[in-house]
Amino acid sequence: MADSSASYIHMVHHLIEECIIFNMSKEECMEALAKHANVKPVITSTVWKELEKENKEFFDAYSRRRQQMEETRERIQNFTSDSSNS
Amino acid sequence: MLAVSSLRSTTFSSKDENQEQMESFRPVGNQDFSELADKNLLESIDFDNLFVDINAGDVLPDLEMDPEILAEFSVSPNCDQPELNTSVSNGKVEDNPRKEEEEKISSGSSWSGLDSSLSTRGEDQVVSKRDESSWVMNPVPHKGDKGRKSSTQTKHNQGKKKVDWTPELHGRFVQAVELLGVDKAVPSRILELMGIDCLTRHNIASHLQKYRSHRKHLLAREAEAVGWSQRRQMYGTAAATVGGDMLPWQVPTIGFPPVTLMQHPFRPLHVWGHPSMDQSPIHIWPKHLTPSPSPPPPQSHSWAPLPRNPSYWHQHHRVPSGLTPGTPCLPQSLPATRFATPPVPVIPSHATYKVDPADIGAPTSGQSGHHHPTFDFHPSKESIDAAIGDALSKPWQPLPLKLKAPSLDSVLVELQRRGVTKIPPTAC
Repeated sequence: MADSSASYIHMVHHLIEECIIFNMSKEECMEALAKHANVKPVITSTVWKELEKENKEFFDAYSRRRQQMEETRERIQNFTSDSSNS
Repeated sequence: MLAVSSLRSTTFSSKDENQEQMESFRPVGNQDFSELADKNLLESIDFDNLFVDINAGDVLPDLEMDPEILAEFSVSPNCDQPELNTSVSNGKVEDNPRKEEEEKISSGSSWSGLDSSLSTRGEDQVVSKRDESSWVMNPVPHKGDKGRKSSTQTKHNQGKKKVDWTPELHGRFVQAVELLGVDKAVPSRILELMGIDCLTRHNIASHLQKYRSHRKHLLAREAEAVGWSQRRQMYGTAAATVGGDMLPWQVPTIGFPPVTLMQHPFRPLHVWGHPSMDQSPIHIWPKHLTPSPSPPPPQSHSWAPLPRNPSYWHQHHRVPSGLTPGTPCLPQSLPATRFATPPVPVIPSHATYKVDPADIGAPTSGQSGHHHPTFDFHPSKESIDAAIGDALSKPWQPLPLKLKAPSLDSVLVELQRRGVTKIPPTAC
């Protein structure tokens, strides 16, 4: 019992890492895992949170990076929409 | 013996004067001439060694012609001194000019930068050429405008002969070219801009041709380097270990090409022949990237390989090697180590697989409208699916990011708190 739980959680952990490589947010990850791997979002969310606790620095940096990307993405979109408008 | 000396004279110069001087050198050198006579003379004569000895200064006292030639040098540095040709002086103007030579060379820092890394390459040519340039610089010891004057003198000396493209001379050439625009730079105009007598349009034209092809070379390298750095970033992430180290988390930044890559493209272009070039940081020359420190790897990545520089560039400026900051890159130290062995060996094969879908995913995803070669803000569904499927089917694969796993207990407790009791869930 415990083994299967452990391995399941390990699997979810693995999948979350994959999602991080794709730059996903926690929510996106939950959605993806539910969709592609049939993992309940609550499980994904829990494992994500636990991972975050264990790897605080990483996740801090990760979220910062994502934020920057979002900002840049926005800027690019504004830029392109501006140029198309003008 | 005669054969030897005649060989030497043909190699260096056809002047009688040279021949005489060569012969006078003979006793001094450490070569075993009898040996040479037996073999293929041309091949077995190591001219560099000859001159190395001479340079050491042992020879000097033996040369009777020194003072005469020195006098000639200092007296009249003008165009019509054809007899003061290159190799002749090799032995002589050593002590004094040596220092000046070094100073001048260091002032032409970019050149020296170019050369130092290629220490193995044109060494032969370098030694003899260095002597030439030392000779060349001699006439103008310490004028205020060192670089300028000496190079002017140099040109005067050489007249219509083969032009010795010293760092100063080359720097002026590049300035002129840049002013005109590389593509629009016409030899006659360059000549005008440089304002140097004794340089023919022909000299400039051929030098321009070399310069252009060299730049293309650099650009191609740069493009290659860019590709490399991207790949390396991806690998770097996969191979990362958990230790609070920032290094591993580079993959996500790949989605940010403008930020990460923007930095280097310009450097290499400036490297070539620009005296003002800052050597240490980025040189796209021979070596590959050293494993980059945590800050943006691309920064260091710009040391693209300057790999096989046409040796002729080095001939002239090899000397500086001892003086230039010995960064491995560009000629310097760094790079080429630019792409030091990417942690490829460390990467689990599964990570490699992962990279590919990301690559594939990028072009197909049109969401962001952002053209990035390898990564996208919104990875495609297929790539995600593929990655997830892979992870599911191969649970034994090592984790790509190797984040510290949470304790099982805390996870279970948390799950229970949220109402999840069965794991894996039997029903969705």
